[in-house]
Amino acid sequence: MVYTEEYIKDKLIKELDAVHVEVVDDSDGCGAKFSVVVVSDKFQGKPLLARHKLVNSVLQEELKTIHAFSQKTLTVEQWNK
Amino acid sequence: MSLITIDTVDKFNSLIRSPNLSVIHFSAEWAEQCKQVTEVLQELLKLPEVQSCNSQIGVCDAESLSEVSLKYKVDSVPTVILFKNSQQIDRVDGVDVAQISSKVKAHSTGKAISDVTSKPPLEERLKALINKHNVMIFMKGTRDTPRCGFSKTLISILNGVGVQYETFDILMDEEVRQGLKVYSDWPTYPQVYVKGELIGGLDIIKELQGNGELESTLKA
Repeated sequence: MVYTEEYIKDKLIKELDAVHVEVVDDSDGCGAKFSVVVVSDKFQGKPLLARHKLVNSVLQEELKTIHAFSQKTLTVEQWNK
Repeated sequence: MSLITIDTVDKFNSLIRSPNLSVIHFSAEWAEQCKQVTEVLQELLKLPEVQSCNSQIGVCDAESLSEVSLKYKVDSVPTVILFKNSQQIDRVDGVDVAQISSKVKAHSTGKAISDVTSKPPLEERLKALINKHNVMIFMKGTRDTPRCGFSKTLISILNGVGVQYETFDILMDEEVRQGLKVYSDWPTYPQVYVKGELIGGLDIIKELQGNGELESTLKA
């Protein structure tokens, strides 16, 4: 399945109660490479690795076929700074 | 040992006649992916298990040796065909580095790919690999020849910090490549481990660099 930015964005908002999500398809619409920014208070109190693992688990199925993925995770507080 | 250049049909025939494994790379000057395959084959030649079995690896120009290409149905480059006693025993069409490595290794040692009983169970092997050095990087390619943008960036960041590290090329080992993802519950490469503990991938390294924690994390 080829994933779109919309699809990934919606999933992240839904599963992580995200206040702000940016998804960019760096593979020019091929659905192969994405970079995301996720702002959610679910990241509060969690170290970097745990935050990234949380995002990874939301996108577990998708990551099996996406070739490259990079992410930035922020809490609402960090985002507002 | 180095890659043999096959420029005549006779040379091709005499090479594949060998009872030992001959690996022939059908290549073309204009194809970028062929350079990649040639480099991979050069690395494979250095492996003890390939050398000890007297395996030979050669490169020929698919277009110049067109009758050979036709005979073995080489429709595209790169194509790697494995021979023993003039018989084609296996092949890889296209630049599938993982398959090329595993097939050359398996046919050299004469072991079936799934039947490697001399290896310890995967988990133990992974644990040993992760702990091989204080800082272990599992990446695509090697530190001198990274084979992916993220791996390349990671290496340059680490070189900048000036910390000692060792790398493992997951393209050379499909078992580790898939097994490690499950073992550490992390779906992508490159992966960085310090003292046997997963730190994360490129994003995390970049973020640590941003908050000035990278050096202390790596030199823990």
